[in-house]
Amino acid sequence: MSRANTNFILAYVFLVALPVVGLIGVLKSGRKLTAPISVDGLWQLQADPVRLAALPCGKTLAQNPNTALVISQSGKNFTVSLSNDPKSTSSGVLEGNTLKALLVPSVAWSAGCGDSRELSLVATVDPKADPRSLAGLLSVNHCPACASVEFHAVRQTPQLKKGSH
Amino acid sequence: MPDLFKLVLQIAVILAVCRIAGSIFRRFGQPRVVGEMFAGVLLGPSFLGWIAPGLSAYLFPPVSLGFLNALSQIGVVVFMFLVGLGINPNELKKHGHAAVLTSHVSITAPFVLAAFLSLYLYPRLSDDSVAFTSFALFMGSAMSVTAFPVLARILIERGLLQSRLGTVAIASAAVDDVTGWCILAYIVVLTRAAHSGTPIWMTIGGIVVFALIMIYGVRHLLGGMEVSYRKWGGLSENRLAFMLLLVFGSALCTEWLGLHLLFGAFMMGAIMPKEQKFVQYVLDRFETITVTLLLPLFFAFTGLRTNIGLLKGGEMWMYCGLIILVATVGKLGGSTLASWLTGMPVREAAGLGTLMNTRGLMELVILDIGLDIKVISPALFSMMVVMALVTTFMATPLLAWFCPEKILRIELAKSPAKEPPLPGSIIESNGGSAA
Repeated sequence: MSRANTNFILAYVFLVALPVVGLIGVLKSGRKLTAPISVDGLWQLQADPVRLAALPCGKTLAQNPNTALVISQSGKNFTVSLSNDPKSTSSGVLEGNTLKALLVPSVAWSAGCGDSRELSLVATVDPKADPRSLAGLLSVNHCPACASVEFHAVRQTPQLKKGSH
Repeated sequence: MPDLFKLVLQIAVILAVCRIAGSIFRRFGQPRVVGEMFAGVLLGPSFLGWIAPGLSAYLFPPVSLGFLNALSQIGVVVFMFLVGLGINPNELKKHGHAAVLTSHVSITAPFVLAAFLSLYLYPRLSDDSVAFTSFALFMGSAMSVTAFPVLARILIERGLLQSRLGTVAIASAAVDDVTGWCILAYIVVLTRAAHSGTPIWMTIGGIVVFALIMIYGVRHLLGGMEVSYRKWGGLSENRLAFMLLLVFGSALCTEWLGLHLLFGAFMMGAIMPKEQKFVQYVLDRFETITVTLLLPLFFAFTGLRTNIGLLKGGEMWMYCGLIILVATVGKLGGSTLASWLTGMPVREAAGLGTLMNTRGLMELVILDIGLDIKVISPALFSMMVVMALVTTFMATPLLAWFCPEKILRIELAKSPAKEPPLPGSIIESNGGSAA
């Protein structure tokens, strides 16, 4: 075997074969990692329409029984909007199984919200439920007199295309 | 029914912005495609949606994007056929150890580094519906891709296509793309099979049978086209239409088998006869409309899905910087080291590494698939788009720095004159709108 061939084989082993072995190790050790709970998708909202209507900012939600939360997730961060009002997009954060977000009303449904009010959403994900569900409170910021409204949401869109385990 | 007025308006705006941005980037010595990719981002929520949300909502309402996406996907299907057509596996054999080692290291180095980076990014930018294996493999294949049409364009512009640097780069990039697409196919099958009723062995079995039919059946049929071309000096409209029909048929088969439309189109291109004049003839027939009309729609659609606003705060930009760093160290560093070890002078080796680090449109195509199957999150998608833009943008100035004209002239003088290893491909026409 020529010197060039020997060098080539050595270089190939060190630069290709060994890294591939390393890759297998990385893939194995990575399986132990845990990522934030998945909340991405469409969540059908269920709440008492009377209490929602009484909530400033909640009138539009009460008038649309099919309103859903549209959540787009990137790790612990997510954006959330209302299905019937995509302009209401706001960002939120996931802490363990708890979602926290502020929904800034858009022109379409801001009537009744006032100037500086935002709809605050705090909810806990039930990871064992299939499909996943949320239970939490909707309240209005900067409005001590406003009562919070309990809500429940069920993830609608099956995650058909999601990466699998 | 699509709102035709809105659709035509969208196309007009996209074409205008892409041409203007492409021309501006050309003035700065960049391939037009970099400007067009940038234009796509400008039209999305990262810029237009940010500075003029009303205009953005009027021009690109979410309900209208399905039609724009359909048109852009047709463009990418034809583009992938042309990419496959430009690939000639025999090129690798001609360049021996240098090309074999460079191409393989330029895949494994960024792939392994991306897998290591995934250990850090997975808990931060993914969620528990995505398996770590899918995430890491996707990151690896996305980071190891090379956009050989852009690479070829840069080589042509600098008169390097026939040099050792050029031929090794082209051959290595071809191997990278084929390997990258095979890995991506595996990830897509894995991901989709888990959520469909079809067992994975049936999907893989179907793909193997399909590949065998393509290689041993359809390939011979295509050989007849080359014979006809040689006999008549061209192909009739019927034959060209039949070729397109085969491309779409092949794309539909891979989609139906649980892969993706693009794999079928790529495969059809890869099994086409590789006689240079024939390849150039087919490219000339199909590339003009694809490159000038349909690909800008894809850039715009990708830009509309890219939201740099999602990268809020220093932490997110730090992730983005890490991605760019790892992608560059893996691809540029790995290729440089491998080619230097096989005897290439260090500057030339660094030039080769720079070329291999060019990701261009191929990266965007892969990222779009990743976002579609939700292996990557919207924020990570945006970071990877930024990485694709940066690595493609840096290629031309870095190449000029590593390999100044003086050195290249000496190297070129040593290279034996020969036919270009690839046709001008998706490159020379249309003012160099390389993808």
